[in-house]
Amino acid sequence: MTEFLIGRGHDGPARVGVYRMGSTKVQTPFLVGSPNTESIIGYATLGRNDSPSGGPMILAVPSPIHDSKSFISDAREDDSILLPSFPAVSFLGAEAAELMLESQLRFINEIQGMVDPSRLIVRIPRQLAPEKLASILAEFSSLGVRAASMLFDGWLGPQDYSVLSSRTMLPIDWLAIALGRISPSSIPFLFYLGFDVFDLGYAAESASRGVRLWNLSEESITGGILPRNCSCTACADYSDLRELDREKLHAVLLGHNLNIYQSNLSESVQSLRLGRLRWLVESMVHSSTAATSLLRKTNKSLFAFLEEFTPTSGQTNLSLIGPESYNSPTVKRFRDCLSSRSTPPEHKTLVLLLPCSARKPYSESKSHQRFIKTIERAIGAARSSVAETILTSPLGVIPRELERLYPAAYYDIPVTGDWDIEETEIAADALVTHLQKFAESVVIVAHVSGGYLDVVKSAEDRVTQSIVYTTDQHSPSSFDSLQSLQNTLNDMREVLSLKGGPPALFKDTLRATADYQFGPGAGEALVPDGAKLGGKLYRMVVCRVDKEQTCAFIGDRGSLSLTLEGGRRLIPLQRYWVRFEGRKLEGGSIFAVGINEADPRIRPGDEVIVLNNQDELIAVGRSEMSGREMCDFKKGQAVSVRHKVV
Amino acid sequence: MSDIIERLEHILVDSTVKARGTSVAKRRRRNPTKPSAKWIAPARIGNEVGVALAVVLGTVGCSHARGDSGGCTMCSYLLDGDERSPTTDELLQQFDNAHSELTDETAPLSVKIYTSGSFFDTTEIPSDVRTKILARIAKDERIQEVVIESRPEYVTPDIMRETRDILGSRRIELGIGLESSNDAIRSICINKGFSLSTFKGAVANAKEYDIGIRAYVLLKPPFLTERDALLDAVKTIEDAAKLGVSTVSMNPVNIQKYTLVERLWRKEQYSPPWLWTVMSVLRDAWNKVGSSINILCDPVAAGKVRGAHNCGSCDESITSAIREFSIHQDISVFDSLDCDCMRQWHHVLNHEDISLLIHSRSRRS
Repeated sequence: MTEFLIGRGHDGPARVGVYRMGSTKVQTPFLVGSPNTESIIGYATLGRNDSPSGGPMILAVPSPIHDSKSFISDAREDDSILLPSFPAVSFLGAEAAELMLESQLRFINEIQGMVDPSRLIVRIPRQLAPEKLASILAEFSSLGVRAASMLFDGWLGPQDYSVLSSRTMLPIDWLAIALGRISPSSIPFLFYLGFDVFDLGYAAESASRGVRLWNLSEESITGGILPRNCSCTACADYSDLRELDREKLHAVLLGHNLNIYQSNLSESVQSLRLGRLRWLVESMVHSSTAATSLLRKTNKSLFAFLEEFTPTSGQTNLSLIGPESYNSPTVKRFRDCLSSRSTPPEHKTLVLLLPCSARKPYSESKSHQRFIKTIERAIGAARSSVAETILTSPLGVIPRELERLYPAAYYDIPVTGDWDIEETEIAADALVTHLQKFAESVVIVAHVSGGYLDVVKSAEDRVTQSIVYTTDQHSPSSFDSLQSLQNTLNDMREVLSLKGGPPALFKDTLRATADYQFGPGAGEALVPDGAKLGGKLYRMVVCRVDKEQTCAFIGDRGSLSLTLEGGRRLIPLQRYWVRFEGRKLEGGSIFAVGINEADPRIRPGDEVIVLNNQDELIAVGRSEMSGREMCDFKKGQAVSVRHKVV
Repeated sequence: MSDIIERLEHILVDSTVKARGTSVAKRRRRNPTKPSAKWIAPARIGNEVGVALAVVLGTVGCSHARGDSGGCTMCSYLLDGDERSPTTDELLQQFDNAHSELTDETAPLSVKIYTSGSFFDTTEIPSDVRTKILARIAKDERIQEVVIESRPEYVTPDIMRETRDILGSRRIELGIGLESSNDAIRSICINKGFSLSTFKGAVANAKEYDIGIRAYVLLKPPFLTERDALLDAVKTIEDAAKLGVSTVSMNPVNIQKYTLVERLWRKEQYSPPWLWTVMSVLRDAWNKVGSSINILCDPVAAGKVRGAHNCGSCDESITSAIREFSIHQDISVFDSLDCDCMRQWHHVLNHEDISLLIHSRSRRS
């Protein structure tokens, strides 16, 4: 019996887990190659190499032009088996590709009873339409297959898009194996896309060609150029590799190349644990135009897949360095959720557009402190009727109420003052969408300059409200600009008859956060009129209704934690629910095995409500995986319970 | 599995026809009185070394490649032919033109008649032309060996009898493209269009009249890994020897224009064999059956990107060893060959089988 168990932790589709080959437990992700060693799972072809020895291996069955069945008996009980197929045939078109899968299905039937299907690995051909692939894979799944391999040929580029797209079609609890030529720099990328196993063949091939592999390039150890200095265990003793004899050089290169794969893989895993895998991927693609195009295309076309497994919360700094970040799952999801979920409070009669600041949350930055002081000097308590809206790249617009939210409070961008066209368009679109949520009578005061001003200008035609500009091209925090802002707001106080009211910052913040987290209606459900709010935004604000706490705003994360009462109030919205197959909970965690149904909206890190099989609320907590995973996985922690009904 | 192979065959036929494109219809007009090619070279004739004339008659081309079946995946020899069938006289002139190359040579001589198709196919070579050409050879006493090429379906008892009658006691060898003894490979990798039983029938018909068979064995058709290609070629040579052929000519695939192989090669889904593979096949096969048959190999475009090649620095020495082997049937010519690229070749043998990635030699970084 072979089994793949996915463990805790997510960063995009990347995951860690255990691949159980009989009694041997192999931590995923792992490397495959030859020979079979302690750190590398060996692979070989049945009937072509020496008989398998040592620990469990991955063994390929030779081409169907042979009597493939006859090879199977050489595999040992714990070995996994790559199903037989033809090289290159799928390039004859979709029909041929389909036949490659059909012949594998046929083979499984032929060897029925000889091999436990959980040990089999299906080879996914290129050239197959994703829908077709999904339906054929369902057949493999019903036969008990739990692993698939896909093929790459060297440094990643747009030609690999179809393979990545096929990857998204795999059942989520399958082991995904990347075979072929995998460059070391591809490892973070492929791991991020949900591959669990990586072929080391390219390390060996490169060594055999006299090539030393690096993250960003390849180095040929021949000719007149002095080889680079390398302090890895394989290279450290040799100052000039050209002086080594053939055998020794090959051994050194092979050792070095394996080292770099191992180091990249371990960096990828650590990055996942730290929530920085996406950053690692973006950093590494920058060295290759082809890999960058692939990531951009993946962002766009496989967004749903990337986003589904990307945690919604995090506490690490999010460096958004280049255009690859503009549509990264965290960033685009923020813009999408803001657009679809957030509703400005009705008492806002003036929108004040402000530039972002390097320091987060914005209100703690020097520039925003000045803006706030100016607003308060001009209109005092009537500040509550001002929708302070921060323009930024690449998140678009951020209402003041959501400035502490992830990723708004955690992102960072290289600031030059220059915006590229895509950034401007993204922000302008977000601005237009956001302003459409306000009444036409609302006045927009644009206290921005430079690139921010270009954003407003490029949105202007699509904005129905009137816009007042205050900076006259000067820096918004300059004395003149602030003076101008103060005068404008003063004027507006009269024009719009702005009045002071009860302070609304807590209520606006909690409601906006609730809507953002749980969708429209959640704000009113959790923070109804008359709710008592107390605390500090930068620490914690507790919301009580009739003395019973519904939720608490946690300043660090900028998000809400639910109480059981809060959970009950969310039930009618029918969102973010998990159904536990039982009546009552034992213990502090809920495992995937106990869940057959869950809201597919749920992402790792979301606050969720747990219902029992009679639709009663039994707990609230934090999801550890996405809704689909809770349903499909047989093992693993699905929800960390915060409060439960006792 | 047989139905899957059958469906693959259909796809393959479509793909080869597509790869052929309009190349067959658009063949350029050629002088119908001159052969497509002719050359003379030293050759092993029986147990002596003599001179062989090879002539490629320009005909309308191979029936298999002309037709709806698209022809073989690697072959576009028929492009040497003409879209119009030459007349009887023109075909004879072609032969005479080539024959005159032998004027100054002395016995023993060998004549090889190729047509980029089948000499025995009457749609290419009408029967009167065939008998007249054979009669002209019969008149030339110096010629001790005749090699003729044909697909096996044209190797009938009648034609064999007639050929033997005209050529008398000369050694006659019939070149037939067996390519592979594996029916699945011959059909879905090569699109050859006949089965092993047809080949066996041709061997029997020829033997009846003491006509030997020179089996052409293909090294590395598409859709095989380097190692499967190597193993299949060795196995085929062994099988051919068992079937009673007199000679094996082993042909590493080279990339010809307007073929499916060329298309795959352009997409980096096909790579010509390594010269190490060629060498291994010859050595392994000779160790098994070298005592009973001659194994020949003259790799086309060896050392070039479109032919069997290695790293570039060892190609020449290996190619000349292969040619040397063909003449003397001595495998010790391979003993001293070595190069840094051998390790890379070993890697490809192993890794292609596991990954099924075609290790194209251009796309690496």
